[in-house]
Amino acid sequence: MSTTVKAEPAQPGQDDQPRRPVWRRLFIRPEAGSLVGAVAIFVFFFATAAPFRQLDSFATVLYTAAVLGIMAVAVGLLMIGGEFDLSAGVAVTTSAIAAATITYQFTLNVWVGVFAALGVSLAIGFFNGYVVIKTGIPSFLVTLGMLLMLQGANLAVTRLVTGTVSTQRISDMDGYAALEAIFASEWTIGGVRIRVLVLWWLLFVAIATWVLLRTRIGNWIFAVGGNKDSARAVGVPVARVKIGLYMTVGFAAWFVGMHLLFSLHTIQAGEGVGKEFEYIIAAVIGGCLLTGGYGSAVGAAMGAFIFGMTNQGIVYAGWNPDWYYTFLGAMLLLATLLNMYVRRSAAKR
Amino acid sequence: MTAETILQMSDIVKTFPGVRALDGVDLDVRKGEVHCLLGQNGAGKSTLIKVLSGAHQPDSGTITWQGERVRLNTPMAAMNQGIATIYQELDLVDGLSVAENIYLGHELAAAGFSRHGDTERAAGRLLERLGHPEISPQQEVGKLPAAGQQIVSMARALSHDVQLIVMDEPSAVLDQEEVGRLFSVIRDLTADDIAVIYISHRLEEIREIGDRVTVLKDGRTVATGLSAPDTPTSELIREMTGRDVEYAFPERGMTAEDAPVVLDVAGLSSPGDFTDVDLRVRRGEIVGLAGLVGSGRSEILETIYGARKAGSGSVTVDGRRIRPGSVAAAVNAGVGLCPEERKTQGLLLDEAIYRNVSLATLGRFARGGFLRRGDERAQAEQHVRALDVRPADVERTAGTLSGGNQQKIVLARWLLRECRVLLLDEPTRGVDVGARSELYALVRRLADEGVAVVLVSSEIPEVLGLADRVLVLSEGHVVHEGQADDIDEHQVLDLVMEGSAA
Repeated sequence: MSTTVKAEPAQPGQDDQPRRPVWRRLFIRPEAGSLVGAVAIFVFFFATAAPFRQLDSFATVLYTAAVLGIMAVAVGLLMIGGEFDLSAGVAVTTSAIAAATITYQFTLNVWVGVFAALGVSLAIGFFNGYVVIKTGIPSFLVTLGMLLMLQGANLAVTRLVTGTVSTQRISDMDGYAALEAIFASEWTIGGVRIRVLVLWWLLFVAIATWVLLRTRIGNWIFAVGGNKDSARAVGVPVARVKIGLYMTVGFAAWFVGMHLLFSLHTIQAGEGVGKEFEYIIAAVIGGCLLTGGYGSAVGAAMGAFIFGMTNQGIVYAGWNPDWYYTFLGAMLLLATLLNMYVRRSAAKR
Repeated sequence: MTAETILQMSDIVKTFPGVRALDGVDLDVRKGEVHCLLGQNGAGKSTLIKVLSGAHQPDSGTITWQGERVRLNTPMAAMNQGIATIYQELDLVDGLSVAENIYLGHELAAAGFSRHGDTERAAGRLLERLGHPEISPQQEVGKLPAAGQQIVSMARALSHDVQLIVMDEPSAVLDQEEVGRLFSVIRDLTADDIAVIYISHRLEEIREIGDRVTVLKDGRTVATGLSAPDTPTSELIREMTGRDVEYAFPERGMTAEDAPVVLDVAGLSSPGDFTDVDLRVRRGEIVGLAGLVGSGRSEILETIYGARKAGSGSVTVDGRRIRPGSVAAAVNAGVGLCPEERKTQGLLLDEAIYRNVSLATLGRFARGGFLRRGDERAQAEQHVRALDVRPADVERTAGTLSGGNQQKIVLARWLLRECRVLLLDEPTRGVDVGARSELYALVRRLADEGVAVVLVSSEIPEVLGLADRVLVLSEGHVVHEGQADDIDEHQVLDLVMEGSAA
């Protein structure tokens, strides 16, 4: 034994792995395909749509991407962990309605309403995760059920309380200004509107990336998504990781919900349906596998960025926005193919 | 024997609804020994090691570990005691790196932050200790071959402070050379006083690596403490089966010199897999292909079957050339394949037996787009009975049968189809010793009835014992062709090794 260990320093240092070229190491990352796609789409709209070239338009693109992207990052983490959340889109609206309704009906400080909404969002996430883990029912069904329940509750509660389908304004209530600054402030620098949400988005992407790649929880997320049984067998707390991921989606839904509340002032109870697919699509474009165990937060952010560019680019290019979803669908397919191709060719040597 | 007993399992009972899987099993393992666990499929080996690894709780019985009675409530509890298990189905996470897999669940971390460098260095040292420094700790596990993944599983076991490693059929996914390397790893481990429980269906492996043998049958210990190198094979088989069975191959039939050639493969090549393979099988003949995993054996069968497209060359059945790359054409010409991965490629495990049997012949039972179930079942039943599938109830789902009986279902499918050429890829993998002889006899009977058989197996004695003629493959080339009688196992190995060294 000791001889083998002693022989080791004679070997070249442990860093002496056969170094792959930089591009190759970059391209086996999950987000590689979406990076290529994002550049291609950027160049495309840059060339065809004149307004797209202005800095302020770019800020709008980023904002559109951020609204989607905060959720896409959380949903991406959940998908790496091997689960789905179809209720994520409507949960955003639920959170906003909860904050507005609680604050208004009980005439509370807005802070109280906002934190109550956080509780509601985390509880929804916990419920989703708990039911999925304890019953073994596929998350697709559990969260589809949650989607429908929330969709109905959003409408029913709002109408019950306000008699209409939108929430009451709470902008004149105590604590509103500070919260608005946190969730929905914006500055104009040199004619460019900077929204705080974009900064939050970047921060969340950075945190998620760091958690995934540099902490043990990150390893666990990959493990519960890639091979749940063996993860459990080596002592990974599978239930806690998965429930935690659902609650992370809940947190993100709360955050985006608060942003919508403080920037739009009133919330339409029917909003949010269909958004859940956009989050999933963004994560998939960014390289997350539907089957779990693979993906990245930067990729999900890239997916959201592609969404933002497409969404705004079509408008800037003066096309009929009716084509938006067609364009999006084609892009989803292309991105998936590209991801597959890049991954295969980079894996070969 | 002076070594002290490290593990003592006494009178372990474990029942599942309707089954008494373990019915009073005793097992004692000494420090630094390789203790082999033998038994037919369903004898209780898997359940026993699941009890030992903490995955199952016994209903009664005691486990004494290093002199103390312990309860192993979870896999983690067993791991913390120093008992690691390497399962047959490798349980790694494909998307994580080698190092991350090894330390999954007990990451080297400070306050939640992974210590990447330390983890990779420590993983590298473990891999080196196992004699595999060529596996990079940064490599993604999903891209490693099966043998490499097994080494990673073993490194994971060693990353805990283990005293006992349980290996459940580790050699099933390895070729002969890799088994040799596995054995030297095991010898290193036992030299460090680590005990190994080794499970395998291959008696010759048990002779080579084992110290003592415990035999299980029907959930009971029927023999224990047998010497692995010295106990006669016939005795081990008798203990396992409870009857005197010779591990014997059937008499070879006489293939007439002038018997017509049924399968004629000429100059078949597939770049990267195999080159210029000629293969002629006469009516009633069994031709064996011997070679290591990766020598192109399975690829040749799959190409004949049309599941892969050849680069060049031709496949002719009964004088008619088959359109390359078409399974339908091959099946219509009378070719049948029993694939290597029986459970995933050969069977619909959740479907009834008769539906599995009739799968390749559905057209015969269809009238105006509807299947006539009665006919389908009756004909399937006929073949199921002829092959003595047990239980013979054709309504059972295929997944409930043992390995040997599942293989018979696949054979029955091609018999119903009246196939002319039968391609067998590892027909006895996962089939217990008792059922093997039966399967051998069956294959020979089919040949005697006029089927041309091509047999691929990792177990060279099986190829030599069952086949009439043998082709030895090395790195995709045929390096030897001759009568099976004229060559022995060592000569085959020599040919194979020489070929790979070249």
